[in-house]
Amino acid sequence: MAKKQFLLLVCVFAGFVAISGIQTAAQQGEPNIHVVVEMVQLNVAVTDNKGNYVTGLRPQDFSITEDGVPEKLATFGEGDGPTRRLMENLPSGTEVSAEPGGGEPAGIPGHEALDAPAGGANVFILFDTSNYMYRGFVFAQDAIADFVRSLENADRIALYSYSRDLSRAAPLTSDRSQVLRGVRATVAGDDAALYNCLLLTVKDAAQLTGKKVVVVFSNGPDNASMVPPEDVAELAQSTGTSIYMISTRLAQLEPVSTAVFERMTKATGGKAYFAKNWKDEQKAFASIRDDLAHLYSLSYYPQANLNHGWRAITVKLVGDHVKKYHIRTRDGYRWEPRRFASGATRSSLESPHAPAGGTGQ
Amino acid sequence: MKSPLRFPASLFRIFLALCFCFSAATIGFAESASDAVNSPSKSSPQANVSLLSDSRAVVTIPGPLRSFLRMAGISQKVSPEEVLPLLAREVFFLGYRGATPTEFLILLNRYVSQARELSALAGSAGVIRVSSCAEVEPLLHILGYRIREKCGQSNASLFTSDPERAFLTIDSGFPLTDLEQTIQGGKPFVYEYSSTTVPVLFTEDDWIAVKSSRKVDTKNLIDRLLRDPDLALLYWACSRMDNDTVAALRTSPGLEKLVPFAPLLNFYGSEICIRSAHVIVPGGPDAEVAWKDLVGVSSEAQGDFVLHLLKKDRGWLVAFFDALSHTSQAQQAHFTNVHLLKPLYLAFRPSDNSAGAAKGVFRPAPTLLLLLTRLQFDPDGEIHVPGNIQVWKEILRQAPDSKRVAKWARGKNNDPQQLLESMFSLCRASAESGPVQAFLSLGELDAMRHRGQALKPDTVGLLASTFAQFSDQYLIFSEFPSLDDVSITRFVRVVESIDKIHNHTLRGNAMGIFQADVGLWQILARQEQIRSADLNQSWQKVIAPFSNINSAAVLFNAGRTSLEEVLRAATGEPHKSQDEIVSLLAGPAQHDVEGQRVQAELADRMRSILDGQRLVSLDTLLALGKGLDEAARGGTTPDGLMPLAGELREFEMPRPIFTSNERTEWAVGVYNNRHTDLEMKANVGKLMESAHSRAQLDEVRGRLTPFLRDTLVGMNYAYYEPPGAQILRVNPLLVRSHDFSGDTVIGIEGVWQAPRLFGAGSPAGGGAHLIGSLADLPYVLAEIEQDFIAPDHIQALIWRELVPALLTNSILPRWWDVSRNELHAVALYQRAGEELLSVSAKNEDVRNRVLAILSDHMLPQRLGMVERDLRERRPTEALSAVTPADMFYLTAEFRQKFPADFGSLGPLSQELDSLSRLHPTQVSWTRLSRDFGVPHPVLAQSYARELLNVKPFPALAGFSSRLMAESWDSTNLYWARLADEMNYSPVALNRLVPELTRRMVQRIFATDTEDFPAVLRAMQETGEEFRKGKVVSVSMTSPSTP
Repeated sequence: MAKKQFLLLVCVFAGFVAISGIQTAAQQGEPNIHVVVEMVQLNVAVTDNKGNYVTGLRPQDFSITEDGVPEKLATFGEGDGPTRRLMENLPSGTEVSAEPGGGEPAGIPGHEALDAPAGGANVFILFDTSNYMYRGFVFAQDAIADFVRSLENADRIALYSYSRDLSRAAPLTSDRSQVLRGVRATVAGDDAALYNCLLLTVKDAAQLTGKKVVVVFSNGPDNASMVPPEDVAELAQSTGTSIYMISTRLAQLEPVSTAVFERMTKATGGKAYFAKNWKDEQKAFASIRDDLAHLYSLSYYPQANLNHGWRAITVKLVGDHVKKYHIRTRDGYRWEPRRFASGATRSSLESPHAPAGGTGQ
Repeated sequence: MKSPLRFPASLFRIFLALCFCFSAATIGFAESASDAVNSPSKSSPQANVSLLSDSRAVVTIPGPLRSFLRMAGISQKVSPEEVLPLLAREVFFLGYRGATPTEFLILLNRYVSQARELSALAGSAGVIRVSSCAEVEPLLHILGYRIREKCGQSNASLFTSDPERAFLTIDSGFPLTDLEQTIQGGKPFVYEYSSTTVPVLFTEDDWIAVKSSRKVDTKNLIDRLLRDPDLALLYWACSRMDNDTVAALRTSPGLEKLVPFAPLLNFYGSEICIRSAHVIVPGGPDAEVAWKDLVGVSSEAQGDFVLHLLKKDRGWLVAFFDALSHTSQAQQAHFTNVHLLKPLYLAFRPSDNSAGAAKGVFRPAPTLLLLLTRLQFDPDGEIHVPGNIQVWKEILRQAPDSKRVAKWARGKNNDPQQLLESMFSLCRASAESGPVQAFLSLGELDAMRHRGQALKPDTVGLLASTFAQFSDQYLIFSEFPSLDDVSITRFVRVVESIDKIHNHTLRGNAMGIFQADVGLWQILARQEQIRSADLNQSWQKVIAPFSNINSAAVLFNAGRTSLEEVLRAATGEPHKSQDEIVSLLAGPAQHDVEGQRVQAELADRMRSILDGQRLVSLDTLLALGKGLDEAARGGTTPDGLMPLAGELREFEMPRPIFTSNERTEWAVGVYNNRHTDLEMKANVGKLMESAHSRAQLDEVRGRLTPFLRDTLVGMNYAYYEPPGAQILRVNPLLVRSHDFSGDTVIGIEGVWQAPRLFGAGSPAGGGAHLIGSLADLPYVLAEIEQDFIAPDHIQALIWRELVPALLTNSILPRWWDVSRNELHAVALYQRAGEELLSVSAKNEDVRNRVLAILSDHMLPQRLGMVERDLRERRPTEALSAVTPADMFYLTAEFRQKFPADFGSLGPLSQELDSLSRLHPTQVSWTRLSRDFGVPHPVLAQSYARELLNVKPFPALAGFSSRLMAESWDSTNLYWARLADEMNYSPVALNRLVPELTRRMVQRIFATDTEDFPAVLRAMQETGEEFRKGKVVSVSMTSPSTP
């Protein structure tokens, strides 16, 4: 088993993945995802006591339970490598993508329709351009630009910015220069509706299969959102979207933001960073980049479960030789069966219509 | 060949010239002004610069226009003519806090300096070139960046060296990424960096020569505007005035004398019009004497008249003049007779030293404009008094703001004019539901009713005396005028009885259930699923069960009985499943596949909202209630009830991020989920097990009440889901958190009025929620959801009052009973209007009549532009400034006034005439107004759909842009026209309209809160997208086969 001498990060993704038959049907511009078979996907980072990533683990090293019921791993992958199918008999009609990053970004017009290279992640950067960010705006842009340049080729990136409204400055693409143009096109000003815009971003991400993360760069305060962070966190958890948040110290001076940043990122398998200066910001971005490169991708089909509410997930390492390592994992997801709606609508997965292009001015 | 449309015209022309703000082909001044222009570019309605500038009258803006507009906060979509006016506006409104420049202005000034440096670098060729590493340093210095790693290497990148400069670089949109690729060894960087010239109103020298209180020593108008907000405001105000008028004012009294009045001209200048050596006064020539008496000089004195008008009474006279000018010619005629004008003004003007009429960000005294626009008159020309004079004297005796009014109310004079003067004297008060609003509202109510069925004095007295408390509830009476005095009185009595319930929890639940049931009745009545003949009776049956609520169990039964009455009225049967009720709400039964499909889709959207809110099924609640009823009557509690009771405990709160203590500390006064907490604590199953007596079983049934409230309220929310809604789907506490009785906020009043939004921008507060009634619910839901519509353009201004109104207008009207003839007719009205404009470009007499009609619908500046384009035979350009509502009104009025001429205008007018002959009812104004009009809950005090025919309202104090939004009637007319042209069925509008409106909102790229042209532009762009099949989601709705 190899250990890499990197900053220790453990991360677990979990979420529904549409395994087969993702169908989109536009309804007032909102693509509805019809999930034929639902699989829970977990993205897991394992670290040792020093924070180094632990690599080379095998499927049998992991055990997963949902509401205390053991679950069988359906697929397994590590880092940028391919995902392997483990179950002999997947549910009828199921196909497993060997490329977690692949799959059509269903219903997000403007996003690049391509098969991402194996192992890549879908990275949505959400940049705070509100008045709160004004002072450090140029340095924040530099840091984000560096982050974009540094990401692996396999990854696809979208650049969104927010103040009172969301701006989809660069749609999901593997073209770095397009994203960089999006970064440099952002404009500072207006109120901050972080959680409104994070919700929209998570909804865009939710339509994708494979690894998907949202990286928020924000100063913290929110003075305009209508939706509370709890709802955003639950949606991210239930759609397998990890949220990372990088903030300046300003957020730490505001206890509400600190609490949300730390708890929401933990709940979704991401991490919060409070940077004192732009060098810290760059370190935070580097840490996220490393995290993306070392995630294990596990998935399972939930056993029959009558629980129609919050379902707890536990991931453990099995065997004395690996018990010492740490797992950071999300602790569950909300199961929300459709009770009234009859069509192919899963309300929590509905996403807004994104404009084609939408690169602003 | 003699035109069939030649009219004896000379007297008519003179009459027109003195009545309306257009030239009527008699005025030389405008002709000569326009002659001075070399091929004027098509300007938007906000700009009137080009015609007043000679070909040399331009100023130079350093750097690319795009960058300058970004820095100045101006829409990228404006025409060159609009740049300087909007710059001036932004400087005045955003550039200073007191006397201190804001960050916005500081940055703009810095940008201008940086742009000049870059222009110098670009040289005379106007191009910045970097082809080698050696050439890049001077540029980087100006930009505030430096190179990391070595220039020429693939990993070289730019990062900030001077944050102040770097901010300007990126904020102005400099193509930094391209430059970065060059330093990485890519192709040479070539960036055209030429300065831009934009037209200036008059000449640059005219403005530089103006002395103001600011001592700014510069010969450059850009610099002058950036440093002199007084001049900037005057520039902005002049640019919004009609061409000929502002040119006349430049001559006399001259720009410099206007500087002190710039704030007044900003608010009230756009309705001032000088034509044919006269100031056009409201009321036309007949009113000139009266105006001379008020102003002190004759309207023939032109500039002097204007100056006197501005000086009088700290601007209140020009405010009065402006408001009157804004009304239709018919309304003006009422108010400007020689016996009325002066007394009304004297009543209106302040007698003390209160603030002037230019104080504030928005125009003050909005009620005056409402009063002048919407006051009702009887057929004999007398003011319509709802009830009688005595009722209003009773109300006005308590008028706290005016001794004069109170004195009259106590006296014996019963002259209606005295009442009218009293109303005018109360117009400056800021009350939102005071006596004037009550008078207007009840006048509207009477106007909707059949002759002879006006409200009785007792009813008027009741409504007026409770107006401050319940006024928003009364909108339903103007929407359904067949509700008689008994229905109205009973409603008020029920509301009063609920309001007196002492127990807060019971009262809140009663308010919620009562209003939710009434809301469902309203939806079904509006969709004509409740027959018109049954409205009164069903209404009384729906509200009756709530007249004596003294316990939760009684309330549960009342809610259920009331719902049964709603269903009985709509279907003949009192019992329907939740699924059936949702289908019912989604529209009347459809008999064709397309209708059924659209209806099923709408129903499914509603169901998905109920899912998102995780509400208990109505079926479950009613089954539980019924079972408990039966048990209380002596039966046993059926075993089947236990699983149903279990459903009540399925709801889980969202996983908390904050502890209770944190919420207390960080969201004090905001986070309060008492209602939900009570629901979660209620273990109905356990209570059922131990309940044996009737009282115990009644108590258990009472525990169902909060759940019933949520589900019924949730149905109302679901019905009014705005396009693009998110919070309705993801925040399961939204419906539950609706605080009907104001329990969660100390000291809140007006809980029966339109709900207020709480909790926005408070992360620990549990999300936004509403406090208040269900009145105005469509608008308030749109207000919550509007920020989830992501604009296409960075810096796009989507203002808070306009968008909710647009979204409401797309959701509240439904098109189930619209025939193809009606859809075709509404398109024909608009297309025939275009035909009419084309004819008028060639025919002077037609043009004069067209302009006279449009003068009731357009502000002078825009009318002047249309006139100019028509006169110069550019009908296509004229069309671009005419809204669909203008066009519709034009056709309708022309047809009515000149029926003999209309049919000979061209094939479209002939087709409309033919259609009208075959289907007179379907093609009537009344029918089409109902079909394609929009609600005007503030402007007309009703949620009834109607085309109002008013000029665009400005932003007004107390209303901000809401009245402006309600004066915009064009959108649904336009979507309907597109649907007809693209052969969609009328029912498809139920799906198309919300989506097209959402797309339109995404496209709005406005600069200021009165930027109507931006709204028109966004609508037209969306229409073009739709025609080309680029609005993906709606293009999936197939047009019908012809």
